Amino acid sequence: MSREDQLRRRAKELLTKEGVVMVIGYRAGKRPGTATPAFVTRPEDADVLVFDDRCGTNLAAYLPRVKHRGKIAIVAKGCDSRSVVALLKEKQVDRGGLVILGVGCDGVKEQGRLSDSCTTCIHPNPVICDEMIGEKVAERTPAPDPLDDFERLSPDERWQALMTDVSRCIRCYACRQVCPNCYCPTCFVDASSPQWVGKTTAGSDNMMFHLMRAMHMAGRCVECGSCSRGCPMGIDLMKFNRRVAKVVKERFGAVAGLNPEELPALAAFDPSDKQEFIR
Amino acid sequence: MTAGGEFSPKIVAFLCNWCSYAGADLAGISRIQYPPSIRVIRVPCSGRVDPFYILKALQSGADGVLISGCHPGDCHYLTGNYVARRRFAVLNDLLGFAGIDPGRVSFSWVSAAEGERFAEVVREVTEKVRLLGPNRKLLKEEVA
Repeated sequence: MSREDQLRRRAKELLTKEGVVMVIGYRAGKRPGTATPAFVTRPEDADVLVFDDRCGTNLAAYLPRVKHRGKIAIVAKGCDSRSVVALLKEKQVDRGGLVILGVGCDGVKEQGRLSDSCTTCIHPNPVICDEMIGEKVAERTPAPDPLDDFERLSPDERWQALMTDVSRCIRCYACRQVCPNCYCPTCFVDASSPQWVGKTTAGSDNMMFHLMRAMHMAGRCVECGSCSRGCPMGIDLMKFNRRVAKVVKERFGAVAGLNPEELPALAAFDPSDKQEFIR
Repeated sequence: MTAGGEFSPKIVAFLCNWCSYAGADLAGISRIQYPPSIRVIRVPCSGRVDPFYILKALQSGADGVLISGCHPGDCHYLTGNYVARRRFAVLNDLLGFAGIDPGRVSFSWVSAAEGERFAEVVREVTEKVRLLGPNRKLLKEEVA
Protein backbone atom coordinates (compact mmCIF):
# COMPACT_ATOMS: atom_id res chain seq x y z
CA MET A 1 0.00 0.00 0.00
CA SER A 2 1.41 3.38 -0.94
CA ARG A 3 1.97 6.04 1.66
CA GLU A 4 -0.93 8.07 0.33
CA ASP A 5 -3.34 5.11 0.48
CA GLN A 6 -2.23 4.40 4.02
CA LEU A 7 -2.79 8.05 4.96
CA ARG A 8 -6.29 8.10 3.49
CA ARG A 9 -7.23 4.81 5.10
CA ARG A 10 -6.00 5.96 8.51
CA ALA A 11 -7.80 9.29 8.15
CA LYS A 12 -11.05 7.46 7.42
CA GLU A 13 -10.59 5.18 10.40
CA LEU A 14 -9.79 8.05 12.71
CA LEU A 15 -12.85 10.00 11.60
CA THR A 16 -15.27 7.07 11.78
CA LYS A 17 -14.08 4.98 14.73
CA GLU A 18 -11.62 6.91 16.83
CA GLY A 19 -13.43 10.08 17.76
CA VAL A 20 -11.32 12.42 15.65
CA VAL A 21 -13.33 15.40 14.38
CA MET A 22 -10.82 16.75 11.89
CA VAL A 23 -7.77 15.54 10.02
CA ILE A 24 -5.42 18.32 9.00
CA GLY A 25 -3.37 17.34 5.99
CA TYR A 26 -2.69 18.42 2.43
CA ARG A 27 -4.65 18.26 -0.78
CA ALA A 28 -3.49 19.09 -4.29
CA GLY A 29 -3.45 22.83 -5.00
CA LYS A 30 -5.27 24.49 -7.88
CA ARG A 31 -2.03 25.21 -9.68
CA PRO A 32 0.03 22.21 -10.74
CA GLY A 33 2.96 21.46 -8.47
CA THR A 34 1.34 22.97 -5.42
CA ALA A 35 -0.46 21.58 -2.40
CA THR A 36 -2.68 23.35 0.03
CA PRO A 37 -3.86 22.52 3.56
CA ALA A 38 -6.90 20.26 3.77
CA PHE A 39 -9.24 20.10 6.74
CA VAL A 40 -11.07 16.82 6.44
CA THR A 41 -14.08 16.38 8.70
CA ARG A 42 -16.02 13.67 6.80
CA PRO A 43 -14.59 10.21 6.16
CA GLU A 44 -15.73 10.30 2.54
CA ASP A 45 -13.53 13.37 1.95
CA ALA A 46 -10.37 11.62 3.14
CA ASP A 47 -9.47 10.69 -0.43
CA VAL A 48 -8.36 14.24 -1.16
CA LEU A 49 -5.37 13.81 1.14
CA VAL A 50 -1.94 13.76 -0.45
CA PHE A 51 1.60 13.90 0.78
CA ASP A 52 4.67 14.60 -1.27
CA ASP A 53 7.32 17.24 -1.82
CA ARG A 54 4.77 19.96 -2.60
CA CYS A 55 3.49 19.92 0.96
CA GLY A 56 5.32 22.83 2.53
CA THR A 57 2.84 24.66 4.73
CA ASN A 58 3.50 24.07 8.42
CA LEU A 59 0.18 22.55 9.48
CA ALA A 60 0.85 23.05 13.19
CA ALA A 61 -0.06 26.70 12.62
CA TYR A 62 -3.74 25.69 12.41
CA LEU A 63 -3.85 23.75 15.67
CA PRO A 64 -4.45 26.67 18.05
CA ARG A 65 -7.30 27.82 15.80
CA VAL A 66 -9.19 24.51 15.59
CA LYS A 67 -8.37 22.79 18.87
CA HIS A 68 -11.70 23.82 20.45
CA ARG A 69 -13.54 21.55 18.01
CA GLY A 70 -12.37 18.34 19.64
CA LYS A 71 -9.81 15.69 18.86
CA ILE A 72 -7.66 16.66 15.88
CA ALA A 73 -5.37 14.49 13.78
CA ILE A 74 -2.51 16.23 12.04
CA VAL A 75 -0.12 15.12 9.34
CA ALA A 76 3.32 16.09 10.53
CA LYS A 77 6.68 15.99 8.80
CA GLY A 78 9.81 16.80 10.80
CA CYS A 79 9.30 20.54 11.09
CA ASP A 80 5.53 20.34 11.70
CA SER A 81 6.16 17.88 14.51
CA ARG A 82 8.72 20.22 16.06
CA SER A 83 6.17 23.01 15.90
CA VAL A 84 3.68 20.75 17.64
CA VAL A 85 6.27 20.24 20.37
CA ALA A 86 6.75 23.99 20.59
CA LEU A 87 2.98 24.45 20.97
CA LEU A 88 2.82 21.71 23.62
CA LYS A 89 5.62 23.43 25.51
CA GLU A 90 3.74 26.68 25.49
CA LYS A 91 0.52 24.93 26.49
CA GLN A 92 -1.29 25.99 23.36
CA VAL A 93 -2.49 22.50 22.53
CA ASP A 94 -3.35 19.50 24.62
CA ARG A 95 -1.46 16.31 23.80
CA GLY A 96 -4.54 14.24 24.61
CA GLY A 97 -6.56 16.06 21.97
CA LEU A 98 -4.05 15.30 19.24
CA VAL A 99 -3.28 12.40 16.96
CA ILE A 100 0.02 13.02 15.23
CA LEU A 101 0.40 11.16 11.94
CA GLY A 102 4.11 11.30 11.26
CA VAL A 103 5.53 11.37 7.74
CA GLY A 104 9.13 11.37 6.67
CA CYS A 105 10.02 14.29 4.41
CA ASP A 106 12.61 14.50 1.68
CA GLY A 107 12.40 18.27 1.55
CA VAL A 108 9.83 20.64 0.13
CA LYS A 109 10.14 21.71 -3.48
CA GLU A 110 9.39 25.25 -4.53
CA GLN A 111 9.06 25.63 -8.27
CA GLY A 112 11.02 22.46 -8.73
CA ARG A 113 13.84 23.49 -6.44
CA LEU A 114 14.51 22.36 -2.87
CA SER A 115 13.21 25.04 -0.53
CA ASP A 116 16.01 27.03 1.14
CA SER A 117 15.05 26.10 4.68
CA CYS A 118 15.07 22.41 3.74
CA THR A 119 18.70 22.49 2.65
CA THR A 120 19.82 22.73 6.27
CA CYS A 121 17.12 20.46 7.72
CA ILE A 122 18.37 18.05 10.37
CA HIS A 123 15.01 16.59 11.35
CA PRO A 124 13.33 15.19 8.23
CA ASN A 125 11.48 12.67 10.41
CA PRO A 126 8.95 13.61 13.06
CA VAL A 127 10.41 14.08 16.54
CA ILE A 128 7.07 13.19 18.09
CA CYS A 129 4.23 11.12 16.62
CA ASP A 130 1.57 8.59 17.46
CA GLU A 131 2.08 6.54 14.34
CA MET A 132 4.20 6.73 11.22
CA ILE A 133 2.55 6.84 7.84
CA GLY A 134 5.05 5.21 5.50
CA GLU A 135 8.68 4.70 6.40
CA LYS A 136 11.12 7.05 7.99
CA VAL A 137 13.40 8.74 5.48
CA ALA A 138 17.17 8.73 5.62
CA GLU A 139 18.87 11.60 7.43
CA ARG A 140 20.39 14.10 5.03
CA THR A 141 23.65 15.92 5.35
CA PRO A 142 22.72 19.55 5.88
CA ALA A 143 24.20 22.12 3.52
CA PRO A 144 26.62 24.65 5.05
CA ASP A 145 24.95 27.41 7.05
CA PRO A 146 23.75 30.00 4.50
CA LEU A 147 24.43 32.68 7.10
CA ASP A 148 28.19 32.14 6.95
CA ASP A 149 28.72 34.42 3.95
CA PHE A 150 26.41 37.07 5.27
CA GLU A 151 28.09 37.14 8.66
CA ARG A 152 31.45 37.80 7.06
CA LEU A 153 30.23 41.18 5.81
CA SER A 154 31.02 44.33 7.78
CA PRO A 155 28.30 45.67 10.12
CA ASP A 156 27.48 48.50 7.71
CA GLU A 157 27.21 46.10 4.78
CA ARG A 158 24.94 43.85 6.82
CA TRP A 159 22.76 46.79 7.78
CA GLN A 160 22.53 47.89 4.16
CA ALA A 161 21.74 44.41 2.92
CA LEU A 162 19.04 43.81 5.52
CA MET A 163 17.60 47.26 5.01
CA THR A 164 17.37 46.71 1.26
CA ASP A 165 15.69 43.40 1.96
CA VAL A 166 13.13 44.56 4.52
CA SER A 167 12.39 47.76 2.59
CA ARG A 168 10.46 45.57 0.19
CA CYS A 169 8.15 44.45 2.99
CA ILE A 170 4.55 45.49 2.37
CA ARG A 171 3.49 44.57 5.88
CA CYS A 172 0.94 42.01 4.79
CA TYR A 173 1.93 39.87 7.79
CA ALA A 174 1.75 36.68 5.76
CA CYS A 175 4.86 35.60 7.67
CA ARG A 176 2.90 35.86 10.88
CA GLN A 177 -0.18 34.12 9.52
CA VAL A 178 1.72 31.04 8.42
CA CYS A 179 3.85 30.83 11.56
CA PRO A 180 2.87 28.21 14.15
CA ASN A 181 4.53 30.35 16.82
CA CYS A 182 2.27 33.31 16.12
CA TYR A 183 -0.90 32.53 18.00
CA CYS A 184 -1.26 35.68 20.14
CA PRO A 185 -4.89 36.87 20.13
CA THR A 186 -3.60 40.37 19.56
CA CYS A 187 -0.29 40.60 17.76
CA PHE A 188 2.05 43.42 18.79
CA VAL A 189 1.78 44.83 15.28
CA ASP A 190 -2.01 45.05 15.53
CA ALA A 191 -2.18 46.54 19.01
CA SER A 192 -3.33 50.12 18.71
CA SER A 193 -3.32 51.31 22.29
CA PRO A 194 -0.46 51.78 22.63
CA GLN A 195 0.48 51.44 19.02
CA TRP A 196 3.75 49.58 19.28
CA VAL A 197 4.93 49.46 15.71
CA GLY A 198 4.71 52.19 13.14
CA LYS A 199 2.30 51.10 10.42
CA THR A 200 4.18 52.67 7.55
CA THR A 201 6.41 50.77 5.18
CA ALA A 202 9.27 53.20 5.85
CA GLY A 203 12.60 51.39 6.25
CA SER A 204 12.77 52.13 9.93
CA ASP A 205 9.28 50.83 10.70
CA ASN A 206 9.85 47.72 8.62
CA MET A 207 13.14 47.04 10.35
CA MET A 208 11.50 47.44 13.76
CA PHE A 209 8.87 44.92 12.77
CA HIS A 210 11.38 42.41 11.49
CA LEU A 211 13.73 42.77 14.44
CA MET A 212 10.87 42.29 16.88
CA ARG A 213 9.50 39.38 14.91
CA ALA A 214 12.94 37.81 15.20
CA MET A 215 13.03 38.47 18.95
CA HIS A 216 9.70 36.73 19.34
CA MET A 217 11.08 33.72 17.48
CA ALA A 218 14.10 33.37 19.75
CA GLY A 219 14.16 29.92 21.30
CA ARG A 220 10.85 29.04 19.64
CA CYS A 221 11.40 28.99 15.89
CA VAL A 222 11.88 25.50 14.46
CA GLU A 223 13.18 26.88 11.16
CA CYS A 224 10.47 25.33 9.00
CA GLY A 225 10.84 28.18 6.53
CA SER A 226 7.10 28.83 6.18
CA CYS A 227 7.63 32.57 6.65
CA SER A 228 10.17 32.80 3.84
CA ARG A 229 8.01 30.67 1.54
CA GLY A 230 4.92 32.66 2.46
CA CYS A 231 6.46 36.06 1.81
CA PRO A 232 4.99 37.54 -1.38
CA MET A 233 7.94 39.90 -1.67
CA GLY A 234 10.53 37.14 -1.41
CA ILE A 235 12.22 38.54 1.69
CA ASP A 236 14.62 36.09 3.26
CA LEU A 237 12.98 36.13 6.69
CA MET A 238 14.83 33.00 7.71
CA LYS A 239 18.02 35.04 7.91
CA PHE A 240 16.80 36.61 11.15
CA ASN A 241 15.32 33.35 12.44
CA ARG A 242 18.48 31.38 11.77
CA ARG A 243 20.58 33.90 13.62
CA VAL A 244 18.43 33.93 16.75
CA ALA A 245 18.20 30.14 16.72
CA LYS A 246 21.96 30.02 16.44
CA VAL A 247 22.62 32.37 19.34
CA VAL A 248 20.07 30.58 21.53
CA LYS A 249 21.80 27.30 20.80
CA GLU A 250 25.28 28.67 21.39
CA ARG A 251 24.49 30.53 24.58
CA PHE A 252 21.83 28.42 26.22
CA GLY A 253 22.33 25.06 24.54
CA ALA A 254 18.66 25.01 23.59
CA VAL A 255 17.08 23.87 20.34
CA ALA A 256 13.42 24.65 19.80
CA GLY A 257 10.78 21.99 19.31
CA LEU A 258 12.55 18.88 20.53
CA ASN A 259 11.54 18.31 24.13
CA PRO A 260 7.97 19.10 25.26
CA GLU A 261 9.02 18.92 28.92
CA GLU A 262 11.54 21.74 28.58
CA LEU A 263 10.61 25.41 28.95
CA PRO A 264 11.20 27.64 25.90
CA ALA A 265 14.76 28.97 26.17
CA LEU A 266 13.77 32.56 26.82
CA ALA A 267 11.20 31.66 29.44
CA ALA A 268 13.83 29.82 31.43
CA PHE A 269 17.22 30.79 32.79
CA ASP A 270 20.35 29.40 34.28
CA PRO A 271 22.08 31.42 37.02
CA SER A 272 25.36 30.66 35.27
CA ASP A 273 24.33 32.08 31.88
CA LYS A 274 27.19 34.02 30.31
CA GLN A 275 26.95 37.78 30.76
CA GLU A 276 30.11 39.12 29.16
CA PHE A 277 28.09 41.88 27.46
CA ILE A 278 26.74 43.26 30.73
CA ARG A 279 28.84 45.66 32.69
CA MET B 1 21.88 66.70 19.86
CA THR B 2 24.73 69.06 19.23
CA ALA B 3 25.64 71.86 21.58
CA GLY B 4 28.39 74.30 20.70
CA GLY B 5 29.61 72.12 17.86
CA GLU B 6 30.33 69.13 20.05
CA PHE B 7 28.03 66.15 19.96
CA SER B 8 26.48 65.34 23.28
CA PRO B 9 24.48 62.16 23.12
CA LYS B 10 20.94 61.62 24.26
CA ILE B 11 20.68 58.37 26.17
CA VAL B 12 17.52 56.71 27.43
CA ALA B 13 18.13 54.76 30.64
CA PHE B 14 15.76 52.07 31.84
CA LEU B 15 16.52 51.65 35.53
CA CYS B 16 15.01 49.05 37.78
CA ASN B 17 13.14 50.55 40.68
CA TRP B 18 14.82 48.44 43.35
CA CYS B 19 18.49 48.72 42.52
CA SER B 20 19.71 50.92 39.72
CA TYR B 21 17.15 53.67 40.24
CA ALA B 22 18.12 53.81 43.89
CA GLY B 23 21.76 53.70 42.81
CA ALA B 24 21.16 56.71 40.59
CA ASP B 25 19.44 58.39 43.49
CA LEU B 26 22.42 57.69 45.72
CA ALA B 27 24.75 59.16 43.09
CA GLY B 28 22.55 62.25 43.18
CA ILE B 29 22.37 62.72 46.92
CA SER B 30 26.07 62.02 47.20
CA ARG B 31 26.67 64.81 44.66
CA ILE B 32 28.68 62.55 42.40
CA GLN B 33 29.17 64.21 39.03
CA TYR B 34 28.33 62.47 35.76
CA PRO B 35 27.34 63.69 32.29
CA PRO B 36 23.76 64.96 31.99
CA SER B 37 23.20 62.73 28.99
CA ILE B 38 20.71 60.25 30.38
CA ARG B 39 16.94 60.42 30.55
CA VAL B 40 15.80 58.00 33.19
CA ILE B 41 12.74 55.81 32.85
CA ARG B 42 11.95 53.91 36.01
CA VAL B 43 10.75 50.36 35.50
CA PRO B 44 9.69 47.84 38.15
CA CYS B 45 12.36 45.34 37.12
CA SER B 46 14.88 44.84 34.34
CA GLY B 47 12.62 41.92 33.42
CA ARG B 48 9.94 44.47 32.59
CA VAL B 49 12.02 45.91 29.78
CA ASP B 50 10.58 44.64 26.53
CA PRO B 51 13.26 44.59 23.82
CA PHE B 52 10.83 46.70 21.87
CA TYR B 53 11.31 49.59 24.31
CA ILE B 54 14.98 49.60 23.47
CA LEU B 55 14.43 49.62 19.72
CA LYS B 56 11.67 52.18 20.06
CA ALA B 57 13.99 54.51 21.93
CA LEU B 58 16.52 54.27 19.11
CA GLN B 59 13.80 54.79 16.53
CA SER B 60 12.46 57.83 18.36
CA GLY B 61 15.74 59.68 18.41
CA ALA B 62 17.84 58.34 21.27
CA ASP B 63 21.53 58.00 20.45
CA GLY B 64 21.97 55.26 23.00
CA VAL B 65 20.08 53.14 25.48
CA LEU B 66 21.19 51.96 28.90
CA ILE B 67 19.39 49.19 30.74
CA SER B 68 20.35 48.63 34.31
CA GLY B 69 19.01 46.28 36.96
CA CYS B 70 19.88 44.42 40.13
CA HIS B 71 22.91 42.18 40.24
CA PRO B 72 22.09 38.54 39.49
CA GLY B 73 20.81 36.93 42.65
CA ASP B 74 19.60 40.24 44.07
CA CYS B 75 16.41 40.68 42.06
CA HIS B 76 13.51 41.99 44.11
CA TYR B 77 11.34 39.51 42.24
CA LEU B 78 14.00 36.82 42.64
CA THR B 79 14.48 35.85 39.01
CA GLY B 80 13.40 38.83 36.90
CA ASN B 81 16.91 39.81 35.95
CA TYR B 82 17.93 36.25 35.09
CA VAL B 83 15.15 36.01 32.55
CA ALA B 84 15.93 39.50 31.30
CA ARG B 85 19.57 38.54 30.87
CA ARG B 86 18.70 35.84 28.32
CA ARG B 87 16.46 38.20 26.44
CA PHE B 88 19.12 40.93 26.39
CA ALA B 89 21.76 38.47 25.25
CA VAL B 90 19.65 37.62 22.19
CA LEU B 91 18.78 41.25 21.49
CA ASN B 92 22.39 42.30 21.85
CA ASP B 93 23.44 39.67 19.35
CA LEU B 94 20.59 40.48 16.97
CA LEU B 95 21.51 44.18 16.96
CA GLY B 96 25.12 43.32 16.16
CA PHE B 97 23.93 40.96 13.43
CA ALA B 98 21.77 43.70 11.90
CA GLY B 99 24.81 45.97 11.86
CA ILE B 100 23.71 48.36 14.58
CA ASP B 101 26.82 49.46 16.48
CA PRO B 102 27.12 47.30 19.59
CA GLY B 103 27.92 50.35 21.75
CA ARG B 104 24.49 51.90 21.21
CA VAL B 105 22.79 49.65 23.69
CA SER B 106 24.47 48.95 27.02
CA PHE B 107 23.50 46.72 29.88
CA SER B 108 24.69 46.93 33.46
CA TRP B 109 23.95 45.73 36.96
CA VAL B 110 24.06 48.47 39.57
CA SER B 111 22.88 47.99 43.14
CA ALA B 112 21.23 50.58 45.37
CA ALA B 113 24.52 50.98 47.25
CA GLU B 114 26.62 51.68 44.17
CA GLY B 115 26.19 55.39 43.55
CA GLU B 116 29.75 55.80 42.37
CA ARG B 117 29.44 52.78 40.11
CA PHE B 118 26.28 54.22 38.57
CA ALA B 119 28.08 57.47 37.78
CA GLU B 120 30.94 55.49 36.30
CA VAL B 121 28.59 53.46 34.10
CA VAL B 122 26.94 56.62 32.80
CA ARG B 123 30.32 58.21 32.08
CA GLU B 124 31.43 55.15 30.20
CA VAL B 125 28.23 54.74 28.22
CA THR B 126 28.14 58.43 27.33
CA GLU B 127 31.71 58.29 26.08
CA LYS B 128 31.02 55.18 24.05
CA VAL B 129 27.96 56.72 22.37
CA ARG B 130 29.72 60.03 21.89
CA LEU B 131 32.45 58.28 19.91
CA LEU B 132 29.85 56.52 17.77
CA GLY B 133 28.19 59.81 16.92
CA PRO B 134 24.49 60.45 16.40
CA ASN B 135 22.25 57.45 15.85
CA ARG B 136 21.19 57.29 12.22
CA LYS B 137 20.37 53.68 11.60
CA LEU B 138 17.04 52.94 13.24
CA LEU B 139 16.00 56.57 13.43
CA LYS B 140 12.62 57.34 11.95
CA GLU B 141 13.18 60.53 9.99
CA GLU B 142 9.94 62.34 10.83
CA VAL B 143 10.73 62.07 14.51
CA ALA B 144 14.19 63.58 14.25
